[in-house]
Amino acid sequence: MHLFRSRILSVLAVFFAVVFSADTAIAQDGAKLFKGNCASCHKPTDQKLVGPGLKGVRSRWTDEAKLISWVKNSTEFLKTGDAYANKLFEDYGKSPMPAQAISDAEIIAIIDWADKGGDAPAAAPAGGDGKGSDVAAESGPADSSTYLYVLLGVGILLLILIRVLATVKTSLESLVDEKNGVVNEPKPVLGPLESFKFWASQNKKIVAVAGLLIFIWVLKLGWNGLMGIGVYQGYAPEQPIKFSHEIHAGQNKIACVYCHSGVEKSKHANIPSANVCMNCHAYIQEGATTGKEEIQKIYTALDYNPETRAYGPNKKPIKWIRVHNLPDHVYFNHSQHVTVGKIECKQCHGAVDSMAVVRQDSPLTMGWCIDCHRQTEVDYKDNKYYEELHKQFVNDPNYKKGDKFTIGKIGGLECSKCHY
Amino acid sequence: MSNSKKYWKGIEELQETPEFVKLQQNEFAEELPVDKFLGDESIVDTSTNRRDFLKFLGFSVTAASLAACETPVRKAIPYLNKPEEITPGVANYYASTYWDGNDFAGVLVKTREGRPIKVDGNELCSITKGGSHARVQASVLSLYDSARIKGAMMNGKESDWKAVDAEVSSKLASIAAAGGAVRILTSSLISPSMKSAIAEFSVKYPTTQVITYDTISYKGIADANLASFGKSFIPTYNFDKADFIVGIGCDFLANWLSPVEHARQYAATRKLNKDEKKMSRHVQIESLLTVTGSNADKRIAVKPSQLGLSVVNLYNKLTGSSLPSKSLDTKDAAIAELAKELNAAKGKALVVCGSNDANIQQVVNAINTHLGAYGSTINKDVEDYTRQGNDAAVNALVAEMAAGKVGALLIHNVNPVYTLPNGAAFKDALSKVSLSVSFADRVDETAAACKIVAPDHHYLESWTDANPRKGHYALGQPTINPLFGTRQVLESLLTWAGNTTNAHDYISKVWETTVYPSSTGFLSFNDFWFRSLHDGVMASAAAASVVAEPVVSALPESIKITTTAIPAPVAATVINGDISGAASAIVAKAGKASGIELVVYQKTGAGVGNQANNPWLQELPDPITKVTWDNYVLMNPEEMKEKGFNTLMGQEQMADVVEVKSGSATATLPVVAQPGLPKGVVAIALGYGRTAAGKTANGIGANAFPFVSFTEGTYNYIASGVTVSESKDKYQIAATQTHHTMMGREIVKEATLAEYKKDSKAGNEDLLYATNLTTTKIEGKATAKELDLWGSFENKNHFWNMAIDLNSCIGCGSCVISCTAENNVPVVGKDEVRRSREMHWMRIDRYYSSDMNEEVAEKEGVGAIDKFLKMEVPSSADTIEVVFQPVMCQHCNHAPCETVCPVLATTHSLEGLNQMTYNRCIGTRYCANNCPYKVRRFNWFRYNENVEFDFNMYDDLGKMVLNPDVTVRSRGVMEKCSMCVQRIQAGKLEAKKNSSRPKDGSIKTACQQACPTNAITFGDFNDQQSEVRKAWNNERKYQLLEEVGTQPSVFYLTKIRNKSANEA
Repeated sequence: MHLFRSRILSVLAVFFAVVFSADTAIAQDGAKLFKGNCASCHKPTDQKLVGPGLKGVRSRWTDEAKLISWVKNSTEFLKTGDAYANKLFEDYGKSPMPAQAISDAEIIAIIDWADKGGDAPAAAPAGGDGKGSDVAAESGPADSSTYLYVLLGVGILLLILIRVLATVKTSLESLVDEKNGVVNEPKPVLGPLESFKFWASQNKKIVAVAGLLIFIWVLKLGWNGLMGIGVYQGYAPEQPIKFSHEIHAGQNKIACVYCHSGVEKSKHANIPSANVCMNCHAYIQEGATTGKEEIQKIYTALDYNPETRAYGPNKKPIKWIRVHNLPDHVYFNHSQHVTVGKIECKQCHGAVDSMAVVRQDSPLTMGWCIDCHRQTEVDYKDNKYYEELHKQFVNDPNYKKGDKFTIGKIGGLECSKCHY
Repeated sequence: MSNSKKYWKGIEELQETPEFVKLQQNEFAEELPVDKFLGDESIVDTSTNRRDFLKFLGFSVTAASLAACETPVRKAIPYLNKPEEITPGVANYYASTYWDGNDFAGVLVKTREGRPIKVDGNELCSITKGGSHARVQASVLSLYDSARIKGAMMNGKESDWKAVDAEVSSKLASIAAAGGAVRILTSSLISPSMKSAIAEFSVKYPTTQVITYDTISYKGIADANLASFGKSFIPTYNFDKADFIVGIGCDFLANWLSPVEHARQYAATRKLNKDEKKMSRHVQIESLLTVTGSNADKRIAVKPSQLGLSVVNLYNKLTGSSLPSKSLDTKDAAIAELAKELNAAKGKALVVCGSNDANIQQVVNAINTHLGAYGSTINKDVEDYTRQGNDAAVNALVAEMAAGKVGALLIHNVNPVYTLPNGAAFKDALSKVSLSVSFADRVDETAAACKIVAPDHHYLESWTDANPRKGHYALGQPTINPLFGTRQVLESLLTWAGNTTNAHDYISKVWETTVYPSSTGFLSFNDFWFRSLHDGVMASAAAASVVAEPVVSALPESIKITTTAIPAPVAATVINGDISGAASAIVAKAGKASGIELVVYQKTGAGVGNQANNPWLQELPDPITKVTWDNYVLMNPEEMKEKGFNTLMGQEQMADVVEVKSGSATATLPVVAQPGLPKGVVAIALGYGRTAAGKTANGIGANAFPFVSFTEGTYNYIASGVTVSESKDKYQIAATQTHHTMMGREIVKEATLAEYKKDSKAGNEDLLYATNLTTTKIEGKATAKELDLWGSFENKNHFWNMAIDLNSCIGCGSCVISCTAENNVPVVGKDEVRRSREMHWMRIDRYYSSDMNEEVAEKEGVGAIDKFLKMEVPSSADTIEVVFQPVMCQHCNHAPCETVCPVLATTHSLEGLNQMTYNRCIGTRYCANNCPYKVRRFNWFRYNENVEFDFNMYDDLGKMVLNPDVTVRSRGVMEKCSMCVQRIQAGKLEAKKNSSRPKDGSIKTACQQACPTNAITFGDFNDQQSEVRKAWNNERKYQLLEEVGTQPSVFYLTKIRNKSANEA
């Protein structure tokens, strides 16, 4: 939908641009210029960001010329002693607006554009421009379940059809019999259970085989059930904040380590503290999918007021729900795997950059760990610790050419590597 | 075919009597004694029958398994604003300073996610140099003591700081205005900032006086020095410079003055290697067998009253003078011999005495002067400031209080109601003080009697500084936000003095004005401050360059602080005191001694009882008796047998309870055998009998402080004329070692220095075993290793080995506490210890020598049974020798435990570790049964979150001390020493990150790190240059129970005693 709409919009825009030249062109420029020069500190609405919102800025200044010279070099302009300029300077924490190298016409274009309140896409400059991703994400699971329902429906229809055809067949047969003058003795009417028993007594071999198969199937079910205890692959709990890795890691391509900063030096990758969120969300106050609602939750946690840009004292921690839980008797160290082993995050965590809600991608069972330790070859080059080990490995009398230098070969399968 | 015959069960059935018909309905004809075996009457009365029970059981099992299928929701709560230096999962270390009025230590605190979890010695602290005492190790658990006060208290009720401040300030003002006395009773003040704050306080309240009270007094030494050198001070000792050490009633390795420092220095003189076969000689004259006495090369057992006489006799024999004296009968020869040896070691000899009698100490000073110890083994210039107590002043204070002359009393860092011999009188007198303030961290015996309790922070929550000795300045920093609404004493005093500066700012100000000027090589105070804070000790470009002694901010003349004054140069050898007079006084005093004599002493765990509520310390076995959770009356075993007391320990053994009386002091305690204690002497440990320390400590043992006497101006820790009366009561003692001799086996191998000089393998000769196995190609005798049935093992990458030098191990037990803290070892309580179910991963075996051995038996023709019976008997007090041997999992390379585990829960790693995998263990205990070293521990119960084990792992606060890198074990699994595999793994990871091999010494086990004497060496055997490899090549190396063929990765170095020719 979005995609379609935006395409229509762009076609329309081109059309208008061609037909009504000047005005739209400036408006277009205004949007572009705003994005290029102002968006990191200003909003086109009347909301504050680092500096004041630009909507109605013209009316706040007595003279457009003053406004223009302010924009071009605010520090110089302050020296003229203009009252409003000085008030602005005081109000915004005495941080001067950086001088902008743009022409008067461009400034006017921006102001003109902003006076109209800007347009939608510019309102969330860095929030990602949608592209209908949320719809796609939601339709994924919906698709698979509808598929199931359709199958079920078809199945039921087929059953009804069989039943109808069977009835038709019987009545046709009796008709034929009647025509041929064959008088059928009415068959003893058996209940379904009795008829099954009767049938079974006639076909003992089939019953035996079927019984065995059913028994094996039940056993398998039970076995699978037992093996599944404590395995939570696919676990995707709803989090207190609808944080989407798809938007952050997928669309905006923020590196995993930016937020999970412990991953290279600690056993924990670490859930980022809220101050890391604020590195961006001090500016991005509105998201593409959930608007202000979810981002507001960060502000609430930090007791932050986006209007005054001030932190209050009533901070409340964010209680995330752990997705990847290892039992207490397992020691796992991220830095060993990421820094030393140079493993990609997604090898265990899956395509997090396409997960709107994070789910446990791997089973996290011991078998899964061991499999990897058995297969993965150690990258010993440029690491003196492993180079030494590799030398020993190759010099071993039992060494055959082509033997793989895997983790398992150097003790990576031993109990007390992970259990202590 | 049916049988129509009917058989009756009895005549009743035939007759169908009403009773029979009624009983027929029941499953059992007779009433079952259910209430007896269930023991709970309420169960019998329930209406649930067996079938219902089974239904419920089935239902609950199903419900539980269904519930188990649901994903448990676990919360993860990150910081809102993460401090820059913290990375969750990575430990931070902070240097700090420990001072509790008794022990001083520079410490390094390990914190994880903002909570301290381990305290170790700070290697930069020139006093402890990385070693630590068991009490310091355990101090981290005292932080998480739920008995601590949560906030300020007034009149026994919770209050708030505002109200307390208002009350104290107004009362102090009115008392000071009326000229009433304001007294601060404190432990030795070593904090320059505290002194400065008290100075400010006394400017505001000019009638203030400070009375210094050391729970264990060293006033005798200070007084003796005043007499000898014209100046009252405590010197520092350089045991490392001594070739000959004599301890007289002085437990300098475990409890006296600065034990960790002494232990390190002492051990340094006793390290041996092939090239340098030289060690110090140590003679100990004492009554009670102490840790120090156990390590002595020769021990002379005397009665407490004879300690003074032996000092005088020694002086006479040394100098040939004839001070008034009295013969010691059988001991005279030994003293004469000692004098001869000492004279030969002049200039490199040291005599220390633990007596608090100034007369005795004065003669000791004369001996040391004669031996030329001053300037060599005793440093008079570097004075120790940790013991400045004035016993007479304390006694005078009690009188002053009783007379109602004290208006306000502030009590800091001491617990006089409990620790004063006249504690009861102090308590009575306290009620006459109109404003009594305690800074205690709990409502202890003294705080309970005070009107106001202004609880102090724990030291791990405080900014502190310390000046424990001349030229040594240390800083302490908080490692956690205060857990409760407590406030540092420094801030309380400043607040009442009208100064609102916080502790950090105040201390940095004091350092800027006093300590900083004497530093060199720093551009600014900030540089200096942050460097000092980082190091924990005063930063200095060169430590020796500290020449100028900083002057603590000038105090008004009127304020007397009973501390050591700024030292004036002391003439080195002049003895001004009247030694002859001192000697006569000693002889006179000894003459008065009669009857049974008593020694009160400090135990390594209990100390003076200020950390009594610490379950780690309670469960730490006493180094000598190996008894936990109690104090007791120690008595010579032969004397006990004469009196009909039980000398045995063990699960089924009951100790006899006696009542000890001396003057007005009494204690009813079980009596425990202590070989080495002379007959006619009993001993009781201090630190027990607390009534208001907390749930762990209250009611354990009896308080021995009332036995302390105040004579001739000092507190004395010996008494005579004691009566010991038997009672009919019996008492169960919980000891971790109940068998005390080696029964002729070579568990600890020993040799004398002379033998060792001749042959490096002395006492450690290869053991050869006869073999007539046709399968082996060996003929005749062979070593255990050659007779091996097992395949060889290969440890290519690392091969972790541990060496334990029995010549350095003093048996102090700080490794045991360190291990407990590092590995989340649970506390199990007295009853479980009594059943030999203690969980300590390492123990220190202590063996007494026995006069019987194979040779003696052969010579004297003693029969086999008699021989072994006699081997069980420790030697007499005069000849007893003691050895210590730390035993943890030996990490056998041919491990018997591994072969018997049916589920492969214990396996061998490629790095030589014997791995224990808890989640595989099903608890058959085969491994423990097959372990020749008995080092495996079984979790008989769930020791965490179990109300039956109400120790630190039960309450939420206590659990904060747990090491997050080590699993908390559950019920039914085996556990044992892992050689701190978590540290090995961390060390390896660090090396991998740096693209290097682990450096020798970069990975330390917890026991190794805590050891004050560096007796434990750990490292990679495959590293040719490693210390442990060097130790392996030492000829003193042997493996425990080598003949079993387990080939352990832990090995020992034989103990060498420096015996003189006629002793060997």
